Amino acid sequence: MSDVLNQAIVSGLLIGGLYAVMSVGISLTWGALRIINLAHFSFILLGAYATYQISTSLEIDPLFALLVVIPAGFLAGAIMQIFFELTKVDEFQSLIISFGSVIILQSIIRTIWTADFRRIDRDINPYESMSFFVGDVAIQVPLLLAFGAAVGIALGTSLLLSRSYFGKAVRAIVDDPQIARAYGIDNRRVAVVLSGLATAFSATAGVFIATFQSLSPSISLGWFGIVFPVVILGGLGNAVGALGAGVIVGVAAGVASVQWGPLSASLVTFLILIAALLFRPQGLFTRQGSS
Amino acid sequence: MTRRTKALAGFAVAAIVINLVPALAEALDTPGFYITFMFTAFFWISQAVSWNILTGYSGYFSFGQGAWFGVGVYTTGVLAAKEGWPFLVALPIAGALAAAFGLGLGLVVFRLRKLSGEIFALTTLAVAFVLASVARLYSFIDGGRGIFMTGTPLPEFLGDFRTAMFRMTFVVAFLTVLAAYLLYESRVGWGLFAIRDDEQVAHGLGVPTFRYKMVALGTNAFFSGLMGGVWALQIGFVTVDDVFNIRVPLFVILMSVLGGMKHWMGPVVGAVIIYTLTDRLNSAGLEDVNQIIIGGLLIFLVLAVREGIYLRMRMRWILTLTVFGTAMAVWTFADLATSLIWDFAYASLITLLAVLLPTRQSVARVLRRGGPATPVEASAAERAST
Repeated sequence: MSDVLNQAIVSGLLIGGLYAVMSVGISLTWGALRIINLAHFSFILLGAYATYQISTSLEIDPLFALLVVIPAGFLAGAIMQIFFELTKVDEFQSLIISFGSVIILQSIIRTIWTADFRRIDRDINPYESMSFFVGDVAIQVPLLLAFGAAVGIALGTSLLLSRSYFGKAVRAIVDDPQIARAYGIDNRRVAVVLSGLATAFSATAGVFIATFQSLSPSISLGWFGIVFPVVILGGLGNAVGALGAGVIVGVAAGVASVQWGPLSASLVTFLILIAALLFRPQGLFTRQGSS
Repeated sequence: MTRRTKALAGFAVAAIVINLVPALAEALDTPGFYITFMFTAFFWISQAVSWNILTGYSGYFSFGQGAWFGVGVYTTGVLAAKEGWPFLVALPIAGALAAAFGLGLGLVVFRLRKLSGEIFALTTLAVAFVLASVARLYSFIDGGRGIFMTGTPLPEFLGDFRTAMFRMTFVVAFLTVLAAYLLYESRVGWGLFAIRDDEQVAHGLGVPTFRYKMVALGTNAFFSGLMGGVWALQIGFVTVDDVFNIRVPLFVILMSVLGGMKHWMGPVVGAVIIYTLTDRLNSAGLEDVNQIIIGGLLIFLVLAVREGIYLRMRMRWILTLTVFGTAMAVWTFADLATSLIWDFAYASLITLLAVLLPTRQSVARVLRRGGPATPVEASAAERAST
């Protein structure tokens, strides 16, 4: 039993990295731009399908798809933000608009790739069943790769936000957009770049999902129950927090599914969400005083 | 007319409708799909209006409609179809259970010190997913096998299946609209509008915000669950994926945004128009395109008609009635379409376009002329004038 438990903890830890990559984009745009962009779920899925398509058509290693998916994601996020800036929407309007975009993108995905399950062929995808053992515990390589990407994204984003001029501008806009503008920060340009970056992260998550999972248009619905708790628990706009929260949610869900069956995982994540909202609405990893 | 005579008149009309329409349909030998069309419209009216009681009145945006609806569907599914309870006994329990879930959620989230609108919206969305996985997990609910509703016996006085569905959906829709109207006119309604405009100020002025929000959430969940309980019969074979998906929340949002969320009548108008148009698109075999159109329409409406079309229709009621009447007459007598439903769909579409034509009149001016403004109209007026 303890072997199974150890395995669940390690797998949960690794998949927590993937959860973090999926959540960090939503967390950034929500925290910094005050826009809840539900379309990120569709961009994750779109990234996964694009990886499937590129890898299958060109018969190359799926990770090469990153070269296409990251710039395309950046472009999509930037365009979406430009649309938001041009129409001057408030928070609820942006929520409804992004909800409308989800419906459109899901429908486009279903039209192109149908509702059947799609999976990258094993001959091209060396990662799918690749794993190695540390003691009795198996480490799955695709999850390890995603975890590495999560660490990179979390550290990179937090360095970018704390050290660079761009990061300073973002933090100034979060504090007070009007004053920031008075000091000469072009907040629209910063918002467009940030939204592009966030969407690129989401699309990256899709690449890793495609390396080990079958794709169907409906899988994105299930992600919501994981991403939302991770975003809240990590603290809005906090990339390192998202990584920590992803690991917590991943381990909790992994242990729950070993102990009480796979379907209990979503109940446990929901309870984590409610607990987080009740006791730490500002997120676990946010210092007191900073909002 | 006082409110009481209005309500009594409403009940009288309702009693006539549920008895006369099925009899008339039989006498005239109208095709059955007219009745089906009508009771599906009642279903959507009830869902949209009940959603608007929470979101339109209090301003708390909810994605939870699918959850309340699903609780209702599964309650009658389990009690009436699996356990063999009489259907009309299981039905009120469906509403009560959905309300209990809604109030339970409200008890937690409305107590949060820093509850923002977005957190509420996303939490309600999460509830639907959790309930879906609970239904999948426990075999006494569903367990992944689904529930057959087709053999469920209905009391004889309701008539055959179609007539029974017509009567039950009509009664639920009627009660929902009545509740929305009474709340709109009541002290609770005024309190909710104050919460929507500025919750802190409302609280400071002595509006019992927590209690009023619970009333709104409970009413929403109750009627949604009640209609869900009836609708289980129409679904026939109930599965988790069919019930707990984003279809119901998507459509109620679309319908209310189109009709207008600031007036109790808005979602009724929105529901009739959206349901008619999507039903016709589906029957024309354009289901794939349909979703894209719906998503695009939602985005367009949110940006273009913020106050919804109902207030515009009231403002330009001569235009609305003339265009609708003319279009309906032309299509019916010239026999341009194959059925009355098509006539109605074309007439609604043309009316919709006519109402959406830009105008220099503002909603505010017309409403001010028509007597004292209700708080909603006053706030709409204020926004339009700034």
